[in-house]
Amino acid sequence: MSELYQVIYCSRNRIPGAPDTVSENIGGILARSRENNARDGVTGGLLFSDGCFAQVLEGPMEAVTAAFERIQCDERHGEIVVLQSGPIAERHFADWSMAFTGTRALGAGKVAGLGLSDTLTTRSGGGDTVLGLLRSVVVRETEWLESV
Amino acid sequence: MLPYPSQSLPFQPVDDAGPDDSGEARAPVAGLHLRAALDGLEAGLVTFNRTLDILFVNSRLRSMLEIDPAVAGGVGSLLMLMEASAVLSTTVVQQVHEACQGAVDTRTPQEVTLAAPGARFFSLRVGGLVDRHWMASFTEVTAQRTAEAQAVERAKCDPLTGLLSRTLFHDRISVLLDTGPDHEPTGQPAADPPHPVRHAVMAVDLDRFKSVNDTLGHSTGDGLLCLVARRLRSVLRQHDALSRLGGDEFALLVSPAPDRTVLDQLARRITDVIGRPYLVDGHLVNIGASIGIAVFPEDGATRVELLRNADLALYDAKAMGRSTHSFFRPEMDARAVARRLIEIDLRKALALRQFELHYQPQIDLERHAIVGFEALLRWRHPERGMVSPAEFIPLAEEIGLIVPLGEWVLNQACLEATHWSEPVTIAVNVSPYQFEDTNRLVEAVGRALSLSGLPGRRLEIEITESVLLRNAEPVLAALHRLRGMGVRVAMDDFGTGYSSLSQLHSFPFDKIKIDRSFVKDRDDDVGQNAIIRAITALGASLGMATIAEGVETAGQLERIRDGGCTSVQGYLFSRPVPVAQVAGLIAGYNQFQPTPAY
Ligand SMILES: Cc1cc2nc3c(=O)[nH]c(=O)nc-3n(C[C@H](O)[C@H](O)[C@H](O)COP(=O)(O)O)c2cc1C
Repeated sequence: MSELYQVIYCSRNRIPGAPDTVSENIGGILARSRENNARDGVTGGLLFSDGCFAQVLEGPMEAVTAAFERIQCDERHGEIVVLQSGPIAERHFADWSMAFTGTRALGAGKVAGLGLSDTLTTRSGGGDTVLGLLRSVVVRETEWLESV
Repeated sequence: MLPYPSQSLPFQPVDDAGPDDSGEARAPVAGLHLRAALDGLEAGLVTFNRTLDILFVNSRLRSMLEIDPAVAGGVGSLLMLMEASAVLSTTVVQQVHEACQGAVDTRTPQEVTLAAPGARFFSLRVGGLVDRHWMASFTEVTAQRTAEAQAVERAKCDPLTGLLSRTLFHDRISVLLDTGPDHEPTGQPAADPPHPVRHAVMAVDLDRFKSVNDTLGHSTGDGLLCLVARRLRSVLRQHDALSRLGGDEFALLVSPAPDRTVLDQLARRITDVIGRPYLVDGHLVNIGASIGIAVFPEDGATRVELLRNADLALYDAKAMGRSTHSFFRPEMDARAVARRLIEIDLRKALALRQFELHYQPQIDLERHAIVGFEALLRWRHPERGMVSPAEFIPLAEEIGLIVPLGEWVLNQACLEATHWSEPVTIAVNVSPYQFEDTNRLVEAVGRALSLSGLPGRRLEIEITESVLLRNAEPVLAALHRLRGMGVRVAMDDFGTGYSSLSQLHSFPFDKIKIDRSFVKDRDDDVGQNAIIRAITALGASLGMATIAEGVETAGQLERIRDGGCTSVQGYLFSRPVPVAQVAGLIAGYNQFQPTPAY
């Protein structure tokens, strides 16, 4: 199997409309992502906060590159800034074709006070924060699933 | 089927009638007139019998295959005849032999195309005649084959991206403009009068692609081009044509073209999607796109015009800054024409001796004396009068004329300086482009000194910091070689770049020239003065002299002097003057010593 590769980026939401419409759209993106990623051996997490997306994609380099390239052509977001990219030793989201976390209203609220909008504007840092936050959510959900 | 009716073919006497000879009447021996007719045929003919011995050869075959006349007498074997051809290779001779043998053995006509050396092609047909005779006919088909090959070539797409090639793209536009539908293809009846369909050509150029290629290598560059092609495709409609014209130049044909607002949105979408990050071979890459747009029919009635105007708009977009788009405007054409005219004149100007040097004195503030002159290039155009260097230097740099022009300046300045009464220095600006070939530059300086006899220490070359930023190592080596000849080196426009200070440590400059922007009066004089003082102090600590340029008023001079500059240059003392006035300036200035003229 080819080397494991990881990309973390954030981008600004461009889905117009009320929170419900946005929410519905993101639901669609997630469903499609989980299907495609499961097929391609890609795992990761998606975060929606502060009107922005942050996503971690990991898997074999070709598969990650291909998914990333498809996502770049998507008009539903813009101003994409890659926070981190490179080879990794192991997956952080091995069980998740695409984990998700977002504010309930999916409006301008922030998940765990994470100001992604600032990250985008200043184009600095954030890769580790995004990764950490998404992982902590994933861990909580896994625990919850196991306890049920 | 044989194309030749046997009745019309006369033969030489045949001595080899096979055992199963049908006994049909033999063809009559060729009459002279028939022979002449056969010789005049387009096709080269040879007839032969079952054992492949020649019966008849027309003269066309001899000339076509350049058969050695000694062999071409018409007797002997077919193989011998073919081997005597200067045109056919051994392999081709073999093919001919096999085709003929095949026709004899199988009693079926054979047809092959022969590829002779030198990209010549022959079509060979072999068939049976009456009386167990066979005929091989050769026709040269090189011209057709070349045409076909070209057609195939034209149809080929760019092998890297699979997009249309330049030729195919041009064909597409031509077809649309020449024979395309005259009406909106909406299926509705055309309005009256019918208005032509509009087509938009967009010329797309990648920004920063070259640096990706240079730093990450060609294969990553190629990978990136493929991704760009895919992204472009993803924003276009199915029937819009997309081409890679070459390198990192793409073009698209949007037809029928929507109105300008929609074209504007499309262009924005393209710059957006091309400007998003890429992952190529595990590398993160960022590039941009500039776009020029021309719309048929208003921006050009022909393909050539349309493409040229899209290109003009592209230049405009690039000039505005990165990752933006421009629609063609008629004045771009005018500007391009004007530029082209001045370019033609510029190329001739050196030969026509239209350049001259003007000299601006540099005054030492302690000694109150002229210590040097800066040589400034002027172009005296026969019709335009004096053309500003700001206008022609960038153009000269762009068209590569700056190198010979820079060498002329060096020679001329050194030569003229030898005639002056005082051994003052002569400062010459050297363009960053001249540093691209450092050997040539060092040699040019050496030549200017030896031709004029000017001592090296009287020559000072002024460079800008961009020279050091670009390619530091060879540049530093060249500067040291110049220093070896005694030549002084000054850093020009100091303070305008971002890394001026760090550059100062890279080479022991003789002089720092403080940019005129620090000399100009501003609201924040205190801040300006602080900067000047910092530069002069730094210069002093590194053993470098400091000169301020653009000094125009007594007030400015006062500030400069207080700031600690060692010398000044500016209109306050003298504008740049023609060489004839230099002697007077030196004499006049020194005469008023020690009271300065200001
Ligand atoms: C923020 C964001 C994240 C996305 N993440 C993924 C993803 O992880 N995997 C994926 O296949 N598509 C993802 N998409 C959707 C892609 O952009 C694209 O629409 C999809 O891959 C197309 O899939 P299809 O070719 O199967 O229709 C994402 C889109 C957005 C806006």
